Amino acid sequence: MSNFTDPLTGEDAVSDPYAPEVGGIETADAGQQGNDENAVNKTGTTTVGISTQEGVAVATDRRASLGGRFVSNKSVQKVEQIHPTAALTLVGSVGGAQSFIRTLRSESDLYEVREGEPMSIHALATLAGNFARGGPFFAINPILAGVDEEGSHVYSIDPAGGVMADDYTVTGSGMQLAYGTIEGQYDEEMSLAEARELAVRAVEAASERDTGSGNGATVATVTDEGVEIETFEDTADAAAE
Amino acid sequence: MQDQNQQAYDRGTSIFSPDGRLYQVEYAREAIKRGTASVGVRTGEGVALAADRQTRSPLIEEDSIEKLHRVDDHIAVASAGHVADARQLVEFARKQAQRNRLRYDEPVGVESLAKEVTDYIQQYTQSGGVRPFGVALAIGGVDPDGTPRLFETDPSGTPYEWKATAIGGNRETLQGHLEDNYRPEMDLDGGVGLALETLAESSDGLDAETVEVTTVDVESHRVRSLEPDEIAPHLDELEGTDE
Repeated sequence: MSNFTDPLTGEDAVSDPYAPEVGGIETADAGQQGNDENAVNKTGTTTVGISTQEGVAVATDRRASLGGRFVSNKSVQKVEQIHPTAALTLVGSVGGAQSFIRTLRSESDLYEVREGEPMSIHALATLAGNFARGGPFFAINPILAGVDEEGSHVYSIDPAGGVMADDYTVTGSGMQLAYGTIEGQYDEEMSLAEARELAVRAVEAASERDTGSGNGATVATVTDEGVEIETFEDTADAAAE
Repeated sequence: MQDQNQQAYDRGTSIFSPDGRLYQVEYAREAIKRGTASVGVRTGEGVALAADRQTRSPLIEEDSIEKLHRVDDHIAVASAGHVADARQLVEFARKQAQRNRLRYDEPVGVESLAKEVTDYIQQYTQSGGVRPFGVALAIGGVDPDGTPRLFETDPSGTPYEWKATAIGGNRETLQGHLEDNYRPEMDLDGGVGLALETLAESSDGLDAETVEVTTVDVESHRVRSLEPDEIAPHLDELEGTDE
C-alpha cells in the first residue's frame, strides 16, 4: 500500500506492479483453483519455439483434453498474437491461458498507445512473469516468442512466474519427445524456414506418442514485420510448406 | 462586484467560476512565483538542472535545503514553490519509477514519468476537500534509448516539454534570457553554463556553495550532482562577463 491515493476514487495512486491495469485480480474467480480437475479443459499440448536471426518459429498441436483421457476438442488454436511482433502459446488450463492472452494483449496495446512504440520483448516477458506469479491465471506454462530491436527472443514462462530466455524451448506434456527431436538439430545459423520445419517435426514426434498432443499443427512465424499464423489438419502438411 | 463574484468561486478547487476559471489553480501558480527559481537546459549531451538555495540565516545547513532531487538513476527533478509539496511529488515520482522497473524490468521513460506525475497533480484540481499542489517541477532525464528530455509540471496537471525552461519567481525574465541565449548545438558543459547564467539573472550573486547543479548525461544515463569546485569556474566566468 503506497501513501499516495487518488483523491477522486480513494484508490492507490501507485498501482500494483504485478497486477493487470484493466480487470484486476479481484474480478477473477478466486475459487477456480478448487475446480474439479477433471472438468477443466487442458491443452496437454506440445508447443515449440525456435529462435533464429530472421525471427522466431513457433509450432503447436491442436488438441484439448479432459483429465488427459478424453479429447474434448480437435481444433484449438494454441498460439495467438499478443503484440505487433510477438506471440504467446496456450499451455495448461484453457481458461487460464485464454484469459492470460487477452490480458497481455490489452496491456501491450495500452503500453503502445501511451508510449508511442511497442513494448520490448523483455518488458513483455517480465510483465507475463509478474502476472503468472501474482495473477488469477492458474496452471499455465506458455512460450513467448518475439522480435524487437534487440533481435529474436524465445522465453518460457512457468506457472510460478519463472521467466527463462533460451535459443529454443518446449512446453507441455509432449515436452520430452519434442526436445528429443530438436536436440542436436538446432543450429544458431539456421534459417527461419529450417527452424519452422524443425519445430513442426518436434510437434509431430510428440503427437505420435503423447496422448495429450495431436490433431495437426498450428504454426506461427514471428519477424520484425509481424506475426503470421497458419493452421494444418495434418502435421505432414505443415512440414511440407 | 468583481471581488464578490470571485469570493464565491475561489474556495473549492473543483468549482469553475462563471467565466471558466479555476481560481485555486491560479492561486497555486502564484505560490510558485513566490519561490526562488530553478532552471533546466536540455542539450544533445544531456540535461542540466540548476537551483539557488536562498538561505535565511548563515546558521542553516545548506544541504538541508533541497531543490534538486534524484528520482531514479537517469531522472532528476528541480522544484520551485512549496518545498513540502515538492517532496510529495518527488516521492510519488520515485515510486512510479520503481514500479516501472518492477513491472517491466526497464527504466521508466522521462515522458511517461512526467505524465504519471501530472495525472496525479490533475486529480487534485478535480476533487473536493483538497488543495492543488503549490509547486512546479522541471523533470530532466535521459530516455532508455538515450534521448535527453526536459518536462515541466504545472498545478493544473498539464505537462509541457521544453528545450530550456525556468520555473519559479521572476520566470518571465529568466525565460527571456534562455530564449535569447539557447543554442541547440551546445554541449552539456555549455548547458550548465547557460543554466547558471540564467539563474544569476534573478540573484544578487551566486555562490558555488549555495547553488546546486545536477546533470543527467546521455553517455552514462546517470544523475550527477556537481561539486562546488566544478561550479565555481562557471561562476567566475559569469563575473568576468559582467565587468
